[in-house]
Amino acid sequence: MATTSQNTDWQGRYYHIDQILDRPGPRTDPAFLAGDGVKDFLRNQAKILVIGAGGLGCEILANLALTGFKDIHVIDMDTIDISNLNRQFLFRPKDVGKPKATVAAEFIMNRVPGVKVTPYFGKIQDKDDDYYMQFNLVICGLDSVEARRWINATLVNLVDPENPESLKPLIDGGTEGFKGQARVILPTITSCYECSLDMLNKPTAFPICTIANTPRLPEHCIEWASVLEWPRVQGDKKLDTDDPEHIGWLYSVAVARAKEFNIEGVTWSLTQGVVKNIIPAIASTNAIIAAACCNEAFKIATSSAAYLNNYFMLIGTEGIYSYTFEHEKREDCPVCGGESLELSVSSDLTVEQLIELLVEKQDIQIKKPSLSTPTSQIYLQAPPQLEEATRPNLTKKVSELVPPDGEVTVTASTLPFSLSLRIQYT
Amino acid sequence: MYSLWATTGQSALENAHILVIPGSATSTSILKNLVLPGVGKFTILDNRKVTPEDAGNNFFLEGPSSIGKSRAEETVRLLGELNESVTGIADTSSVAKLLETDPSYFTSFTLVIAHNLDPTLLDKLSTLLWSDDSYPPLVVVRSAGFVAEFFIQFHELAIIETHSETAPSLRIDKAFPALLDHALSLDFANMDPTEHGHVPYVVILVRALEDWKNAHEGKPPQTSAEKKAFKESILAMKIKMDEENFDEAESQAYRASAVTGVPSEIAALLQDPRLGSLIPSSPPFYHLLAALQKFTLEPPHTLPLTSTLPDMKADTNSYIHLQKLYKTRAEEEKARFKSYVTVPIDDALIDSFVKNAHALKVLRGKKWGALDTDHETLTNALASAPKQTAIHLSLSALSSLAVKRPGVAPDVEALTAEAEALLPPGSVLPDEFPDAVGEVARAPTADLPNTAALLGGLVAQEVIKVITKQYVPIGSYCTVDLVETWTGVI
Repeated sequence: MATTSQNTDWQGRYYHIDQILDRPGPRTDPAFLAGDGVKDFLRNQAKILVIGAGGLGCEILANLALTGFKDIHVIDMDTIDISNLNRQFLFRPKDVGKPKATVAAEFIMNRVPGVKVTPYFGKIQDKDDDYYMQFNLVICGLDSVEARRWINATLVNLVDPENPESLKPLIDGGTEGFKGQARVILPTITSCYECSLDMLNKPTAFPICTIANTPRLPEHCIEWASVLEWPRVQGDKKLDTDDPEHIGWLYSVAVARAKEFNIEGVTWSLTQGVVKNIIPAIASTNAIIAAACCNEAFKIATSSAAYLNNYFMLIGTEGIYSYTFEHEKREDCPVCGGESLELSVSSDLTVEQLIELLVEKQDIQIKKPSLSTPTSQIYLQAPPQLEEATRPNLTKKVSELVPPDGEVTVTASTLPFSLSLRIQYT
Repeated sequence: MYSLWATTGQSALENAHILVIPGSATSTSILKNLVLPGVGKFTILDNRKVTPEDAGNNFFLEGPSSIGKSRAEETVRLLGELNESVTGIADTSSVAKLLETDPSYFTSFTLVIAHNLDPTLLDKLSTLLWSDDSYPPLVVVRSAGFVAEFFIQFHELAIIETHSETAPSLRIDKAFPALLDHALSLDFANMDPTEHGHVPYVVILVRALEDWKNAHEGKPPQTSAEKKAFKESILAMKIKMDEENFDEAESQAYRASAVTGVPSEIAALLQDPRLGSLIPSSPPFYHLLAALQKFTLEPPHTLPLTSTLPDMKADTNSYIHLQKLYKTRAEEEKARFKSYVTVPIDDALIDSFVKNAHALKVLRGKKWGALDTDHETLTNALASAPKQTAIHLSLSALSSLAVKRPGVAPDVEALTAEAEALLPPGSVLPDEFPDAVGEVARAPTADLPNTAALLGGLVAQEVIKVITKQYVPIGSYCTVDLVETWTGVI
């Protein structure tokens, strides 16, 4: 056994955890080898990656450290904001402005002796396959759909059937107000993040014409301020939804708009809620979901009990309602399925309209897609020369460019995979 | 802050003082989620010193350097760092002694939480806190390894702000005079086409229903054939194919045939015999219920109208006009409601009551342990929630064995025998029992970090609901199995 941990472990340290690791339970897989071997793997060999050091990430890091993982890596691209302190409990007022990953790592190492937490302050996209290959497990506590799609596709692509080590279980947690979910993804084996894209709540989108011409709700006035007025007045200046001055500007513009139309109810907090498009996260839901995720990590790393198969969903507004079920793999999933997605469209549909459809459709949601067929380019978003060259196709009918039952490949710079569509005409 | 429980909830939280016994990993996990959102005060009651075992599983201890120090003082100090506006108190008295010498200590808190408390002391504490309905609610938390349960003991909880997702009635079928006049005043045939495409669906429905009733002896569409014909009559009002407001009206047509009355759950609350014998010092909620009862006895025999109008296809003017009609009527009905209120009650509370009248909830709780002595309820629980009840029985068996054979490690046989003794005559243990009891026997004294953290979230969430009187807390046991990862209620 390695000696690194023995220096910091004290007699009785793992009294609670060892009750689980010293003997099997009634539902434990017979392959579980109770005792020193499993403890050694957990404490001296397992290497785990945590993506996100925010509300969920702080909780995840604390739980992993206490359960005995000693080689933890954490990635986060954000710095600490004052508004994080009411739930991201590893941060203090003096830490505002510093990178979340670094501060969280230091806190955990100070609090839980002998645990090594390696922070990376940056984007997950900065890292390559070799980096992800070094981990046994990945846990995600993110609030970005884009980032999750990226890591999910990356881990699915990483799987080499010849090499069992290349299969990295991905545990994903997410919360919104009193609701949340935790799931276990075994890339290529179980349903993946992309398979369940249509389960996401569709963000409330207000039609531009309502915002511009017929506002009725305070939300419409706030959208008017952020979507139309901000770029018109502020030009290229980027809207920072964490900047109180920016929110203040939007708020006053929205109030004026609302007054003009006799609409009531524009408040500072509503302004913040609408532009951030978020339901506030709370400490208790984060704690539940992070605990569920870490418990799965612990079970997978030790085989001390069966792991979640494969989706746990919680709704805490009325009593405590939860639902545990097996989410099914999609055969036409662009990431882990093999089949192309069938799409039936009108023969009058233009390329531009097809692009709109791909952005909107619940199970696709690809922003800025580029399209091509096996023999030609239909429309490319970049580089500028090719964009310009393919732009005339936007107004053409898809049926002029793609034969019935023809295949269209859809790519986007933000996603490390391509979607293959089989087009039928109605 | 963009809060989930608004300023009223936040101030209730800031005025609360929570007692937690003892300073275990589960206790500090619960407290963390109460300290972060800003509970006013908390006390940890614990006369033990930090052991090496504690230092290994509790995030609010500093590893070996905390060993030997007071567990209450160490955990309070480290929890306090999370939020400077929260006051933490470490009390190193003995629970047993306080129960004997100073019971009023326990009744002075807003709410009491006990984790894996000695069963004899828990009995005394729960009996004490149950003995008067003004005493604080008690949250009992029990866990062993991967399985756990918790229960909230309270007499009654009346909730106004349930944050229900059910929308109140728009009263299409009982259109108030101003709404009806407005709908009848519109000249759909000679309207400007743009205006025609922006008449809100509520107005279209009121008008279509009135026209229908005039042609059908004053009756709304009732049979499915009639409902279908009614929908067709709405679509026939279109002057252009793409008028979305008429499509919306068609999809909402059921609102015209639904009869707006008093929802059955609210009607049940109005049957409460106490409403007949209120005294000025009775809780304001009951005075408001009594006023509501009087209100519904008068035509149109509905709850007071609320001014919350959902968004719908419309131009600004016609929407704002409609909103004003609703608002004016809602104010009138609120004034009528207020005239029935016989004691002085804060206006904000009346406003909130009227706004949420369609979703009020009154929960009646039970004493801790009542399930185990109520044979009928236990028999029903075994049939309707076998795996949840299996967890409850396993943990109850662990408690009773701890009293009978203190210090002896419980095994599956002994626990099973204890559980069987708890069963009502003629009942058998559920098929799921071995799975649950096996985990309890595997780790009878394990306060696992992940289980503690999960309970920490669940219990804090329910405590916030009880303190803020918002959302709907559980009315009974919540059980947790972290092998298969599920939660359930009995």
